[in-house]
Amino acid sequence: MASAGKEHLYKVLVIGDLGVGKTSIIRRYVHHTYSHNYRATIGVDFALKVLRWGADDTVRLQLWDIAGQERFGNMTRVYYREATGAFIVFDMTRPSTFEAVLKWKADLDSKLMLADGRGIATVLLANKCEQGHPLPANGLKMEQFCKEHGFAGCFETSAKDNLNIDEAANFLVTQIMASEHALLRRAAATDTVTPQLDRRRRSDGCVGCLK
Amino acid sequence: MTAPSLLLYIDRSLFARKVKDSRSVEHRDAGWKLFGKVPPREGPVKDPRRIQKEYETKTGRAGHSNLTSPRQNVRKNLDFEPLSTTALILEDRPANLPAKPAEEAEKHRQQYEEMVAQAKKRELKEAQKRKKQLEERCKLEESIGSAAQTWNQEILPNWSAMCTSRRVRDLWWQGIPPSVRGKVWSLAVGNELNITHELYNICLARAKEKCRSTAANAPEAESQDSGSSNRESSLELIKLDISRTFPQLCIFQQGGPYHDVLHSILGAYTCYRPDVGYVQGMSFIAAVLILNLDTADAFIAFANLLNKPCQMAFFRVDHSLMLTYFAAFEVFFEENLPKLFAHFKKNNLTPDIYLIDWIFTLYSKSLPLDLASRVWDVFCRDGDEFLFRTALGLLRLFQDVLTGMDFIHMAQFLTRLPDLVPAEQLFQHIAAVHMTSRNRKWAQVLQTLQRDPERGSPVLKR
Repeated sequence: MASAGKEHLYKVLVIGDLGVGKTSIIRRYVHHTYSHNYRATIGVDFALKVLRWGADDTVRLQLWDIAGQERFGNMTRVYYREATGAFIVFDMTRPSTFEAVLKWKADLDSKLMLADGRGIATVLLANKCEQGHPLPANGLKMEQFCKEHGFAGCFETSAKDNLNIDEAANFLVTQIMASEHALLRRAAATDTVTPQLDRRRRSDGCVGCLK
Repeated sequence: MTAPSLLLYIDRSLFARKVKDSRSVEHRDAGWKLFGKVPPREGPVKDPRRIQKEYETKTGRAGHSNLTSPRQNVRKNLDFEPLSTTALILEDRPANLPAKPAEEAEKHRQQYEEMVAQAKKRELKEAQKRKKQLEERCKLEESIGSAAQTWNQEILPNWSAMCTSRRVRDLWWQGIPPSVRGKVWSLAVGNELNITHELYNICLARAKEKCRSTAANAPEAESQDSGSSNRESSLELIKLDISRTFPQLCIFQQGGPYHDVLHSILGAYTCYRPDVGYVQGMSFIAAVLILNLDTADAFIAFANLLNKPCQMAFFRVDHSLMLTYFAAFEVFFEENLPKLFAHFKKNNLTPDIYLIDWIFTLYSKSLPLDLASRVWDVFCRDGDEFLFRTALGLLRLFQDVLTGMDFIHMAQFLTRLPDLVPAEQLFQHIAAVHMTSRNRKWAQVLQTLQRDPERGSPVLKR
């Protein structure tokens, strides 16, 4: 069911503890810049990324860069509404930010649920990988972790060195589209089986931690 | 007054000479490399000044004042300026070509004169513009100076008697001179909490001790599971945020002159109000105070400022009370800018999206610092209401741009305001905002909403 010239608009949340590099990742992804010192985000910041997708589709990603302080939780949860995908970011050099990942995930799942009862497509980003130990050496079995906790995948990223950010975003978009297709099919209750189904099945767990 | 322009001139002439020198060297180099032993020809790199001289002797207008003195005035400067770009056409043709006909040479001379005249005119205009700018700046500085005198000699000594007078309020609106700003803020914010310098020092000492002990336990705490209390630990967050406070000023970052001061004030506050702790946004407020007050006084102003009802509601993240403030804001928004209000509503752009940053940092993050300070001036005079009035002033100022945007572009625009927000214009728009709705003032509207939260923002209510 290839839809030619379609325009997709997706709201993507970028969440995670304070100072893990959410703003840096977005700035790198959207504006192709990096600075050591971005101002702390208060409330929420926004960015828009427009992607050519496939032959002639356009994807517009509305990125919601949400302040990381836990205290803001109540307030920033309003921002989750109608999101179709999320990045949860942690800082590879600060273990406590990894421990917080599950809290963010649980928070997200409790606030947002797709019609089929599943959570929205969520990708885990291990940021500042240029400074941290690679994940296996970090003692983290990421594939297992993602599978267990419902992440579509995990990427080691560096906003500073521009590593893996485009890849992670493209991956998230495919995941969002896959769940969209799944939902549409569910709604239509059609009997056609499209290749997307397989792709979705395969990516239910972690597709591999790509460095 | 003449000093800067002289300096400017000297600077420029030095620079020009340097460039010329280096260019001729380069040229010579290139000549050598490209043509082996052929030395570069003298002709084409004729010094424009020499051409000018030749020309002047030719036309009999020999440099009458050319050599007079190093004390250059503007006109002198102009004589000199356009040479390098235009003198080329005065050159004689190379020897192997027939010489220019006299007629053509004359034409070139005329053209050259016209060019010089035009360049002079342009330069003169620019010089006049610069002079005017300088005069304006001097006038501004003078007015700031005289205002500072008025504040220092008349108002501050009689603060309680004068601070509500019409004249002082008017002067206040125009912006407090930076030299007295801190004092006025301190007086206006007051010290309801009766914080003394001693108390600040006690809180600071406690914060330092706590910092040391957590630092000592850090490895342990990190390897064991650190519960939410640990993760939320204010002192850790402060460390992360300090260098992310006004990074462009480079004074609060690690190693910068105010890094430790900012750390001290925020740390002391978490010991003074452990129930509030550190909340993002505070670092910006403390930083602005540090720029205007000594450390202990900055702390006193900081604690008292945060103790105001609106700030307490926000920094304790009292969600329902915050929604009440937003709802009151929407009442005045609709009243003042009905078209834009409808546009926002249509696009689902709720006040929490842009107001949170503005209120939490008191505009110090979103507006240029000097303009934010002017907002603070009147905020200290008028209280919470002015923060929301400023928001409406901003929306009013940018109304036309915003009406042409969709959700994401409005959200981006408002959370990242243009770098140059025109101060006078903004204050005109703020002044034009009516802070009455059906005969009720801000405080009354807020009170009604507080009593009856059901009437709060329908969009934000969940």
